[in-house]
Amino acid sequence: MGAGPRPERATVSAEEHEQLRRDLDALRDQFEAADEVLTALGRSAADPEAVLTTVVESARRLCRSDAAYLCLLEYGVYELIKSTGLTDESITYIADHPMPVDRDTLIGRVGLDRQTQQIADVLSDPEYGRYDLQRVAGYRTTMGAPMLVDDDVVGALVLWRNEVRPFDEREMAIVTAFAGQAAMAVNGVTLVQELESRSAELAKNVERLEALREVGEAVSSSLDVDHVLSTIAMHAVALSGTDGGSIMEYSARDRCFMVRSVHRTDPAVVQRLRSIRIDLDETLVGRAAQGRRPIAVSDLDRVHLDPHLKILHDDGWRSLAAVPMLREDQIVGCLIVRRKRKGGFTEETLDLLETFASQSALALLNARLFRELEEQSVELELASTHKSEFLASMSHELRTPLNAVLGFSEVLLERMFGDINERQEEYLRDIHGSGQHLLELLNEILDLSKVEAGRMELEYSSFDLRSLLELATSMLRERAALHGIDLRIETAEMGTVYSDELRLKQVLLNLVTNAVKFTGDGGSVVVGAQRDGPEVLISVTDTGIGVPEADRERIFESFQQGGRGSSREEGTGLGLTLSRRIVELLGGRMWLESEVGRGSTFGFSLPAGDREGTGRPADGSPAACGEVVVIEDDRPSLDLFSAYLSKAALKVTTARDGPSGLAAVRRTLPDAVLLDIRLPGIDGWAVLKELKAEPATRDIPVIVVSIVDERARGVAMGAAAYLVKPIGREDLLTALSAVGAPVPLPGSGHEHREGP
Amino acid sequence: MSEGRILVVEDNPKNLKLVRDVLTYAGYEVIEATSGEDGVRLAAETVPDLILMDLQLPGIDGAEALRQIRATERQVPVVAVTAFAMNNDRARAFDAGFDGYVEKPISVRALPQQVSDFLKLGGIP
Repeated sequence: MGAGPRPERATVSAEEHEQLRRDLDALRDQFEAADEVLTALGRSAADPEAVLTTVVESARRLCRSDAAYLCLLEYGVYELIKSTGLTDESITYIADHPMPVDRDTLIGRVGLDRQTQQIADVLSDPEYGRYDLQRVAGYRTTMGAPMLVDDDVVGALVLWRNEVRPFDEREMAIVTAFAGQAAMAVNGVTLVQELESRSAELAKNVERLEALREVGEAVSSSLDVDHVLSTIAMHAVALSGTDGGSIMEYSARDRCFMVRSVHRTDPAVVQRLRSIRIDLDETLVGRAAQGRRPIAVSDLDRVHLDPHLKILHDDGWRSLAAVPMLREDQIVGCLIVRRKRKGGFTEETLDLLETFASQSALALLNARLFRELEEQSVELELASTHKSEFLASMSHELRTPLNAVLGFSEVLLERMFGDINERQEEYLRDIHGSGQHLLELLNEILDLSKVEAGRMELEYSSFDLRSLLELATSMLRERAALHGIDLRIETAEMGTVYSDELRLKQVLLNLVTNAVKFTGDGGSVVVGAQRDGPEVLISVTDTGIGVPEADRERIFESFQQGGRGSSREEGTGLGLTLSRRIVELLGGRMWLESEVGRGSTFGFSLPAGDREGTGRPADGSPAACGEVVVIEDDRPSLDLFSAYLSKAALKVTTARDGPSGLAAVRRTLPDAVLLDIRLPGIDGWAVLKELKAEPATRDIPVIVVSIVDERARGVAMGAAAYLVKPIGREDLLTALSAVGAPVPLPGSGHEHREGP
Repeated sequence: MSEGRILVVEDNPKNLKLVRDVLTYAGYEVIEATSGEDGVRLAAETVPDLILMDLQLPGIDGAEALRQIRATERQVPVVAVTAFAMNNDRARAFDAGFDGYVEKPISVRALPQQVSDFLKLGGIP
């Protein structure tokens, strides 16, 4: 009762009475409202919507306002969530033009000052800055109170009147109380929402990890940078809850950005973005890159529009985040995600976007490196082609004059046109020797350049190793004898090896020539060979002056002859280099053991590479029953024919050219001859003619094998059969059988002929 | 009495002289041509028993000269003279239809015998 009129006063004036009645009404209203709010709060603990509706409506009614609304503070701007008395136009306008926490608006000041306040007349307030909103809504006096949770401003409750009529203290108290109630309701909602969102958060984290894994996979597995970038853009947009995005590449040379990939963006907009210059110094994207930090814009209406932002804004984009793509602090590009509506970005989202940005940077750098490598390898290949072409042409150009030097000196040495005296002969030998030397040098340079360029083609075949050693040493025998050097081979029967015969001969000749050259008169040079598991070891040992330790590696380098004393003849200085490279190409290695004053051993290994069925019959093959001479210069064909024939238990003698083929036939009188037409020197036709002209060989059947079909000519010249390459095993055996050679018929179930 | 008439097509004058002198010494009659075009013309005019043809020639090359010679003269053996700088030169010579080849630098001692061998190719039906 203490609030009532005093009892001892007998009378009250009518005015006083009226005032008291009004106060009482107001108090009753206030209590009723408070009760209403409390009831609503109690009833709707699980329905904060209803609480907020009650708060807004009661506040408007109790404070006799034209409108009331409630905003929550999200990412630094107030978002309208509940209102009463506002026109639809005003609601839309506020939603599109949110209010930040600044002194332009009442609600901004409420948030800054954290206390209830009013503006008596916005039109006469010098600090007021939102006349745009005022024009739409039409208010004059406005009051608001902050919503505080744990001392944080979470929102505000605002009232307004469309006339200038300031609120009194009682009304300010009501709004303050109601704002407190609203804050509690919102806080309750937040707590529930936090609980609810925790499981959603977990699901979201899984989703993010999944997306990151997918992006990481794309970056590491695909060299298609456009595919990688569009994957990244897609996931970045999806996980940041935005509506579209783009990835830009930075050009340090031009100091600007170029759009590389977009997601959910109108192609016309992309085209416009590509037509402008997105400058490092003049755009928001550039600022983010230079600051090495993401920049988020929650409202594009409220910032300066650079050319890039202008295009986006014109297309209806309202908020965005620009995240620099960095690699070791260098700008690689920029990742941009954007929304069609306004709104901020949480730290968490920006962190996630930075991860995507760094993946994008990696993808772009990978692609750049790959592109550079590709360009370089094209250049290198071109340079290498030029080099090979140059060497081939130089070789031809140098051979032409050498031909004359060697030829004319030879003509004179042959005394074709008269005698010469001793001194003239000596000089002519010098000229001829120097010419030969030049020719060797030329050949070795050409070979070495082929090896270096990876263009040395090897021709593998099976051949008898001992025969090759004998051939190589025989070529040096005369020279060794001249100096009383004992040149010999010390090896057991080695059987066949599978390698490049000509290249191996080149290596052997080089080593034996060196050994003879550096061995004193009366010394010895021994060529040895032995099998060592899957390898063959070949050595050339001399009793020469030896190679000092310091020179043992150097002499394998180009144009180094080592300190081996004065040589009787200059070498090319390339022989050992080339030999070692050839041995390595053939799958072996070369080494040197030496003792100064006692001699040197140059050794090398080779994979023996015996292949079943090639060359000499392997152990266990039946004894040969017939004999065939194969005259063929193409080694792969020779190899193949030998293999077919050996398997069919035929003894095979091979020859690589016409004259040696003729000799082989005359010597062995075989059961049949396989004859290639295209031979060096005299060709197959000439061989055939010779064979048919001689009584001893006239009746031996000759099977012509050729890549050209000149059957009629072959038959006319007396060939027993004519086969056109390529020739299969059955063709060959059928033909041999048809001409009477002792071979099993193919397809008879076993290949080896039974005894006659 | 000549051993045979040889047409030598070679653009380098010193090499041409060398081949001419060596073959002349060996008893052959030598006709000289310094271009493919000359070679084709002289092949028709002089009816040689054998033609030695350099592959690299100014104007039409050896392969083309051979093709033109074969258009009218089927029998005469034509032998390629090549530097063999590269592996595939020999294959190219055969693909072009030459009857054989002689490798440069030519061997003065071996050339007369090689020519004799090639001459045996002639007269084949």
